[in-house]
Amino acid sequence: MGKINIEEKVLSKNIKKADALRELFKEKGVFVLNLVSSPGSGKTSILESTLIGMKNEYNIGVIEGDLQTENDTERIRKTGIDAVQINTGGACHLEAEGIGKALENFDLDKLDFLVIENVGNLVCPSSFDLGEDCKVVVVSTPEGDDKPAKYPSMIHVSSAMIVNKIDLLDYLDFDIQKCIDYAKGINPDLDFFNVSCKTGEGIGTWTDWLTKQISDKKSH
Amino acid sequence: MHEVGIAQSILDIAVENALNNRAEVINKIHLKIGRLAAVENDALLFAFDALKEDTIAENALLEIEDIPIKGRCTDCEHEDIYDEIFFSCKKCGSYKVEQLTGEELNITEIEVD
Repeated sequence: MGKINIEEKVLSKNIKKADALRELFKEKGVFVLNLVSSPGSGKTSILESTLIGMKNEYNIGVIEGDLQTENDTERIRKTGIDAVQINTGGACHLEAEGIGKALENFDLDKLDFLVIENVGNLVCPSSFDLGEDCKVVVVSTPEGDDKPAKYPSMIHVSSAMIVNKIDLLDYLDFDIQKCIDYAKGINPDLDFFNVSCKTGEGIGTWTDWLTKQISDKKSH
Repeated sequence: MHEVGIAQSILDIAVENALNNRAEVINKIHLKIGRLAAVENDALLFAFDALKEDTIAENALLEIEDIPIKGRCTDCEHEDIYDEIFFSCKKCGSYKVEQLTGEELNITEIEVD
């Protein structure tokens, strides 16, 4: 009986594909955001509120991940932005291979900003690199202020956290500072944005952050 | 929930390496899985057992080494094992704890005939 030394990452196939995508996005100067959250936190609403104010200045593309339906893609298209749906069937996350295929629908030479709205799941998408520049995680106030503490792996790999639905704060026992402190304990480097898609509060600050990321990517 | 995909990747990597080394049977596959890898060991073992049938790994066992979360405080240099990924230094309370281990999801070795 013999032993064979391997020392390989189990997800190496996805990592290699993601690295190739990252190289491509760098060459084309496209800033890529991987937007993650549990189902119903408001990822699509945030995109609707944010992208509509950015679309005149930037060429934007959106990839929507869901188990089934084109509902979210149709919502994005109504804002006048190109969107492509990936239906994963039963799969709980998007993989780099699927992103590579979806890119065939976009002209990367013209694109400034690509948003990948991941499948609503606060666990699995944290393990799968899609070649993005950063992950941004959304937590909404009805979910409870200890959400970051209960789902740390996603907080750990994210660059920013959006607290959505702050218009509901008066009706809920949600302590926003507590929520942010939990997240900071897991990832002290996070940037934070408190927003409401209903009232528009905070969307401007979040958009400013995005525009800075896009121009930083362009100048590199 | 994606343990089936992970089990398939493990099987693919093991079989490919075994065949490249002219082995005929895989007896054991050694893995290192960190506590933050979001992998449930029981679900992984269940998926692997279902997938290994009719392959050269059909009698193979998965040997999983669980890797704990280890952190080092960049303020006081204290190094410790953490049960959860909520990093406030166990000695001085600082949030500036650098994570050293816990995210591993590696196949390290296979035993073959």
